[in-house]
Amino acid sequence: MSDPALMTLTELAAAIRAKQISSVEATQALLDRIKAWQPVLNAFVSVEADAALAAAKEADAALARGQARGALHGVPLAHKDMYQNAGKPSGCGSKIRAGWIAPATSTAVARLEAAGAFRLGALHMAEFAYGPTGHNTHLGPAHNPWDVTRITGGSSSGSGAAVAARLLPAALGSDTGGSIRLPAHFCGVTGLKPSPGRVSRASAMPLSFTLDTVGPLARAAADCALVMEAIAGPDPLDPTTDGAPPWDGTAAQRSPKNLTIGVPTRFYVDDLEADVAATLDAALAAFRDLGARVVKVELPDQTAVNAAALIVLAVEASSAHAPWLRARLENGLAFSGVQYLEALRWRGPALAAHLEAIGDVDVVVTPAARFAAPTIAETDVTAGPSADAMIQQITRLMRPINYLGLPALVLPAGWSRGAMPIGVQLIGRPFGDEMLVALGAAFQAATDHHRRAPKAP
Amino acid sequence: MADETLTADGVAAMAASSGVVLDEAAAARVARTVGPTAARFAQPDIAVPFETEPATFLVVARTGARR
Repeated sequence: MSDPALMTLTELAAAIRAKQISSVEATQALLDRIKAWQPVLNAFVSVEADAALAAAKEADAALARGQARGALHGVPLAHKDMYQNAGKPSGCGSKIRAGWIAPATSTAVARLEAAGAFRLGALHMAEFAYGPTGHNTHLGPAHNPWDVTRITGGSSSGSGAAVAARLLPAALGSDTGGSIRLPAHFCGVTGLKPSPGRVSRASAMPLSFTLDTVGPLARAAADCALVMEAIAGPDPLDPTTDGAPPWDGTAAQRSPKNLTIGVPTRFYVDDLEADVAATLDAALAAFRDLGARVVKVELPDQTAVNAAALIVLAVEASSAHAPWLRARLENGLAFSGVQYLEALRWRGPALAAHLEAIGDVDVVVTPAARFAAPTIAETDVTAGPSADAMIQQITRLMRPINYLGLPALVLPAGWSRGAMPIGVQLIGRPFGDEMLVALGAAFQAATDHHRRAPKAP
Repeated sequence: MADETLTADGVAAMAASSGVVLDEAAAARVARTVGPTAARFAQPDIAVPFETEPATFLVVARTGARR
């Protein structure tokens, strides 16, 4: 029997359903790895071993009676500590919220549980999801399993670290300005930021009503599809899900043959470190080998799009977090109501300009960041202004996507000279999430970057 | 519309209008951080058509979708 902790979510769920391994065996294997890794990663804020093993026993008993709950029957999962679970604490990475007990379960988690998954604990995150590095003053930083002196990326820091270290087969993150995609890039896992409206945000901590999205981090694109099958769809508790198309499992398996891939001529490809540029080139070559056509695209000015994203994020974050406003959450106070509404009104025209620029392109491929994971020390804002500048660079290629409301998948595609993972970002058309997963899965069938695991501590 | 010369005093006044008291250092930090963003968004090539509202975005997104 293979080590269940090393299986992808798809493999693990299938093995449990086929009774090749039990849910208890899978849960124990993950708990054993958590015991070894947690002291060096700080990926979890809580591990609920006894409850998880009890849930696993129940899942095995149900399966023995022929009562599989769904596609994720018997799979242990944990999520960023901003998803409510009724009766459990949800700290949102902050001391202010310590001890707060959730009155309801978030729709995304409830749907995973309805598909048969159960809770193993809760994961580290940046305070109130407002930080792209994995630093957290109260919890201490999360550490990258490929090199524990380096950042995980954030704000879904624990999700990235735990999935990369094979402590979990998948985890929910959230993405308002890169918080799923950055940990995916820096930790070498696959992360999907869905189109807005595809996944309910009900009973998940809000940061920016306009830009927040809920999505998975996992080893493989096919795993992201499996999670999306479970969590996507309309929810009366989140009206933004009205009108979004249902998840199309067939489209998520389409061939990349004859797809047109666009590569930006500027902004996303400016000043890349050599390893990142080489990774992008290699990924494009792989997509060509898979039958896709690669063309250049001239995108509109992304710095203006970035500025609009920052205005919307800053103002909405200041509003949502008014009761405990602190540090960077105060930035939104400096924008006027007219500036905020202008930034919101420009969203449609900015998306129209993007769509006109890409024409018939199905997917735009870019790097996820200019560099692989920097160290925890060089991104510590208490170390001085150079850390601030680096943090600006970290989020540079992320924020436009949230503002434009596009889906994006980041998946591991190469390695730095220092043996750190490097991701590429696949940006879809509106509601083109399935095409990203299909292209990602085809890429991962032809490469093995997503199969490589960091060495145990 | 955008304020390229955002000052700490200006930020403190705006915060006060939201019922938040910012000390001098916090107001200066916010002014420093936010000023460049406001300036970038004030570029003359950003023109929002008269009849555009925030929900126009949904129309564009659904029109631009291709399955």
